[in-house]
Amino acid sequence: MASDSSPANFNNGPSSPDGSFSSPIPNTSSPAHRRRRGRRQAPTPSSAAATPPPNPSRFANSGSTPTPSRSTKRGRRPDTSPTPAAAATPSSTDDFPPPSSDGGDDMEEATPTFVWGTNISVQDVKNAIQMFIKHFRDAQELSNDIYGEGKYTRMIHRVLEVEGEWIDVDAHDVFNYDSDLYNKMMRYPLEVLAIFDIVLMDIVSLINPLFDKHVQVRIHNLKSSTSMRNLNPSDIEKMVSLKGMVIRCSSIIPEIREAVFRCIVCGYHSDPIVVDRGRITEPTACLKQECMAKNSMTLVHNRCRFADKQIVRLQETPDEIPEGGTPHTVSLLMHDKLVDAGKPGDRVEVTGIYRAMSVRVGPTQRTTYIDCLHIKKNDKSRMTAEDPMEVDKGSQRVDDDVQFDEEKVEELKELSKQPDIYEKLTRSLAPNIWELDDVKKGLLCQLFGGNALVLPSGASFRGDINILLVGDPGTSKSQLLQYIHKLAPRGIYTSGRGSSAVGLTAYVAKDPETGETVLESGALVLSDRGICCIDEFDKMSDNARSMLHEVMEQQTVSIAKAGIIASLNARTSVLACANPSGSRYNPRLSVIDNIHLPPTLLSRFDLIYLILDKADEQTDRRLAKHIVSLHFEDTEIAEHDVIDLATLTAYVSYARKNIHPKLSDEAAEELTRGYVEMRKRGNFPGSSKKVITATPRQIESLIRLSEALARIRFSEWVEMRDVTEAFRLLEVAMQQSATDHSTGTIDMDLITTGVSASERMRRESVLSAARNIIMDKLQLGGPSVRLLELLEELKKQSSGSEIHLHDLRTAVATLASEGFVVLHGDSVKRI
Amino acid sequence: MGGPPYDCMSNPLGAVRLTFEKAIGLGSGSETVTHPSAFEGKDWGALELFRHFLFQESGLSKVPILNPKTLRWVQHNSLVRYRGMIQDMLGNEFYVGAYRDIKDGSSWRTNKFTDVSQYPMESPSVTCIWERRLLYCVPVPGQSSWAEPSCDMDPNWSPQSREKRRRMDGEDSDPMDLVPEDEVKSSPITKKMREDGLPSTSPEPMDLKTASSSPGMSTVQFVDKDNLPCLVKIYDSPESDLKLNDVFEFIGVLTFDSELAVEKDDNELSNSFYDDALVHMPPNKVPRLHCIVHRKLAVHDFLPGSPIMEPKPHLVKEIREALFRHLTAVLGNDGVAAHFMLLHLLSKVHTRVDDVAIGKLSLNLIGLSKESVSVFGTRLTQTFKSLLPCTKCLPLTLEYLNTASLAPKKDYQTNRLIPGVLQLPEGSHLMVDETQLESGSLNSIGIENTKILKNLTEFQKVEYDFQFYKVEMAADIQLLIFSDGKSNIVPADVIVPFQPSALESSEIPVAEALEAWRWYLATVRSLPHSIGSEMQKVVEDDLVAARQADRSLGSQDFSRWLTMGRLISSSLGETCLSLEHWQMVKELERLRKERLK
Repeated sequence: MASDSSPANFNNGPSSPDGSFSSPIPNTSSPAHRRRRGRRQAPTPSSAAATPPPNPSRFANSGSTPTPSRSTKRGRRPDTSPTPAAAATPSSTDDFPPPSSDGGDDMEEATPTFVWGTNISVQDVKNAIQMFIKHFRDAQELSNDIYGEGKYTRMIHRVLEVEGEWIDVDAHDVFNYDSDLYNKMMRYPLEVLAIFDIVLMDIVSLINPLFDKHVQVRIHNLKSSTSMRNLNPSDIEKMVSLKGMVIRCSSIIPEIREAVFRCIVCGYHSDPIVVDRGRITEPTACLKQECMAKNSMTLVHNRCRFADKQIVRLQETPDEIPEGGTPHTVSLLMHDKLVDAGKPGDRVEVTGIYRAMSVRVGPTQRTTYIDCLHIKKNDKSRMTAEDPMEVDKGSQRVDDDVQFDEEKVEELKELSKQPDIYEKLTRSLAPNIWELDDVKKGLLCQLFGGNALVLPSGASFRGDINILLVGDPGTSKSQLLQYIHKLAPRGIYTSGRGSSAVGLTAYVAKDPETGETVLESGALVLSDRGICCIDEFDKMSDNARSMLHEVMEQQTVSIAKAGIIASLNARTSVLACANPSGSRYNPRLSVIDNIHLPPTLLSRFDLIYLILDKADEQTDRRLAKHIVSLHFEDTEIAEHDVIDLATLTAYVSYARKNIHPKLSDEAAEELTRGYVEMRKRGNFPGSSKKVITATPRQIESLIRLSEALARIRFSEWVEMRDVTEAFRLLEVAMQQSATDHSTGTIDMDLITTGVSASERMRRESVLSAARNIIMDKLQLGGPSVRLLELLEELKKQSSGSEIHLHDLRTAVATLASEGFVVLHGDSVKRI
Repeated sequence: MGGPPYDCMSNPLGAVRLTFEKAIGLGSGSETVTHPSAFEGKDWGALELFRHFLFQESGLSKVPILNPKTLRWVQHNSLVRYRGMIQDMLGNEFYVGAYRDIKDGSSWRTNKFTDVSQYPMESPSVTCIWERRLLYCVPVPGQSSWAEPSCDMDPNWSPQSREKRRRMDGEDSDPMDLVPEDEVKSSPITKKMREDGLPSTSPEPMDLKTASSSPGMSTVQFVDKDNLPCLVKIYDSPESDLKLNDVFEFIGVLTFDSELAVEKDDNELSNSFYDDALVHMPPNKVPRLHCIVHRKLAVHDFLPGSPIMEPKPHLVKEIREALFRHLTAVLGNDGVAAHFMLLHLLSKVHTRVDDVAIGKLSLNLIGLSKESVSVFGTRLTQTFKSLLPCTKCLPLTLEYLNTASLAPKKDYQTNRLIPGVLQLPEGSHLMVDETQLESGSLNSIGIENTKILKNLTEFQKVEYDFQFYKVEMAADIQLLIFSDGKSNIVPADVIVPFQPSALESSEIPVAEALEAWRWYLATVRSLPHSIGSEMQKVVEDDLVAARQADRSLGSQDFSRWLTMGRLISSSLGETCLSLEHWQMVKELERLRKERLK
């Protein structure tokens, strides 16, 4: 009996030189061990250790091929193993003692066992794993209590409680604890994992001798991940980790693990016979001593044990495909619980062992697959689709989907600390479309979004910012739309001309197969929590447009049709663009007359931008230069200091997810003040009836915009400057006070607060420089200095930027208002 | 094995074996045998031998071209060439690259460049596993008959008769004749198929009908006599060398062993493991070519053995004049249209900046009715086929739009990329006939197809449908559109109202003239181009002035002008934009504008 073996010959097995660790696993499994588990006997912790019992399912059909790396070793095998057949022959009798291997073991007790062809000692690995499981502690655990149980010991206990079947082991933990073990595991995964499983079994049976399930170890989160394209013959039999998309799953294949035979002569049932190299050796004669009938054994199907198996095809994700290539695919072999873990379309990261096996078509060819150990779904598209914009939910949400690693977060935070981050992001947004900086700022706010609020009373305030772009043809509106559509989470792009009301909202359809009525989502519902880009908004039918009323304010879509009454969420930001009704914008008419949209709908847009084609020679020259350089210089157009798209999306999604700014008191005050002022301005005489005056909607817009602006800075508080900028954006957008009707150009000076953030920054720096110089040069109450002298001084100090006299004058005026200096005409005097 | 040790033609594997044995030090008497794993599947000197044979000893022309005709007599395991477009990439295949011979125990054998080992290989023996890439290649879509490589080995083949037949074929071309692959379909069977309606783009249509008619010479039984796909196995080449839709000439060892035929068995497990694509392409239908040497073919590589001429300006100008006269005649004496046509034929995508493809010049001839297309369209088709290596025609009928698969699509059942009409190699010419479009409703395929066409014209990109996602592939296709009014489905760069003044048919040009024109179109296209700083200033000023005068001019118009400027100067064989050329651009644009009024 195998269970006779005492703990003393713990080392026996490994020392048997039959090559247990080097050959494909199934032939190394000790039948005795397997049998015991099958019969729910309490295993003695160590007896089974003789041969590493691989978990029965994992490396099941490795009956395959010798691996190239090991094949040479295989060739030498006969020389090195004196008792080659001992454990490899599956003996199926309970009472069949393994005398030969025992004998061999005793003889070689002292010599350490090595993984074939390597200097890896089995015992060392075993010890290392035991140490790891017992002593590994997380970084925070280490600081908290050093005497508590380690992470994996706790995990084992938990698995035992829930009767789980596996333990997820983070490869990073292994690496941090014992990088040597990690490297061995990567290089010889079959052997090391088998030992790992034995160690686990031992521990489990120590804790609960009656626990009969086989606990496997599942490694994940390797230090490095391979690209599917780079898998090559040297990776065979190594542990690899790769990302991809599941494209096909086979049906579940039952695979026999243990077979039971019955003698048709005497009815004797054989012990379960374990699969060896993908085969079951059928006993040729009855094993019962009294019977011994030849060819009498027949398979008893319902006493056999089967395991699930599935073949899944993984394909490269689009970002990994090089130019001019087609995506590569690789097969995965899934076992047991991993079956159906991924469905076609899932983006997954798998960890497994790369293997090759010979195929029928040609003896010289090999087909490869990955024996899957662990599968992780990561649905990481460009941005989190489910980013919680609601404050209430957001705080408690377990962040599971997009994990920003600390490095990235640090990088983003560092980025957010840059003083001109707002400008920088603006520059980085569609860098190939020039000018239109204010429009881009508005779009940036839309991307970041405000906070949605749900009051206890049930009233809700949207956080999404809606933007309408109106402008002359050929002013790259559509390009902007396309760009945002690509960048935005769940961006949906539709054209107004081709959209019907139902196509935008939702419609009821009959399922062709079942005949059931089903609700199909339209574009707006599909872009819930994203941005719905609608091109040619003006071409949309009135009916379709009227559906937008509800969406844009209530953020829901209501359906009452074919017996279905439903209200679907459509928390989407709308970005629409429209051409003026008379193909070109007529500056003599109002916005509303120009675009023929009902004011009710228009007022739902937070920002309405007029993009006009200005007859400006400078712009024309820039355009001409640009195009000429496109054609004649093969150099890239210099894009200085621009954040790349990946970082930009990461920045946006991190901000949307983690930053939830609140209004500070002074910001709130400023909002109130500014709003009242705007209301007054709306009452200007001469404004036509249809002009939108400031409504409560505007103040909501302002709050959203300021929140978005604070979010851009990664700031938890909405500050005064955010509010000021929000006002500016709104005013620029609304064009009410700023359109010069004679030319159609925007006269920026007309907007009182219309100073861009970069300009403001520059002023601040001039101000502080001027202050410093005055501090240095001027005595308290001393003689006065002319402004021009100060300017000279300033220019000397700051060589890089140009300073004009009027900048200095403004700076000095500010200083004067602080009571720091007195300004008389051109002379400055410190007081 | 017979013959001299270095008969690369009939026994390439012998040559491979020799170099291999030499490389590992076998047979040279030395006892130190290099372990073949040191090669890691890389070349050990065999390539040098073949390169020498092909290019130094001009063995290239002796290597038979693999096509349905030659396939009957070329020998298994002999050296062949195959010209084709990479239609699909089937990933990498691992194979036993080297193994130790069981019988004599010590010598190493290699399996490189073959599917079947030449010596019995019993597992488990000592092996090295190497990898190779699998490419699925098809004959160049829309290839003109003159561009097909001539093959001296087949006495029955004469390019003249073939050319004639094709011409006759083209004369009575009905719209359905313009379906994909029309170029190579002339057998009655395929014709019948064409009449059935659906253009079949699949490379393996109808296996059974003609399978029995094949003579017993080879084991390969082909169906489509004019369409021979080939599975090319690439050994020593970086991945970036071979791109999808590139046209290559592969020279390597041919195998079409029926031994390897996959017998259908029900073992689901091994079936799903094994590359499905290969299961669907049994070796007796698709020959395997183990590529030793490959070279990319550009447009001028299709010129059959023409002397490499220096593009000297005076020579170029002469040819240009003659070609222009010919085009004018073909276009019914419409000189303006002929000017634009010439520029259009010379256009190609030079660079891409973000989404903008610089250098394309798609042409939309408007004012054509169904009747006039039947005259001029046919004539133009003929002209293009005689001038350009790859041409193709799309009849834009409603039915076609609603049914055709323009963009390639991945089929995950067979794990193959199903080719689309627009999967064309670089530099192909595509004619779109919109005059046949009638009003009606498009279904979802139709909408998708119009989107694809629009994308192609605007960005020179085709989205390949991988079902779970789409991958944009860059294309470089010259687009010519015939329509009554301005085409909205295919918004071209230049819109020229077509005003023919004569209907008489132009005379058929002599062969030498055709050859010169082909050479001209192929060579001039790739001339470099630059602009002097003074000229740049002039151009910029002109652009600014033009925009000040007419606000409706946009970047697209400017881009078009500059492209035309470039094309005009290259068409004259010059590499620098001169004021004269620029004036010509402006004059052409003026004439065009006048017509548009």
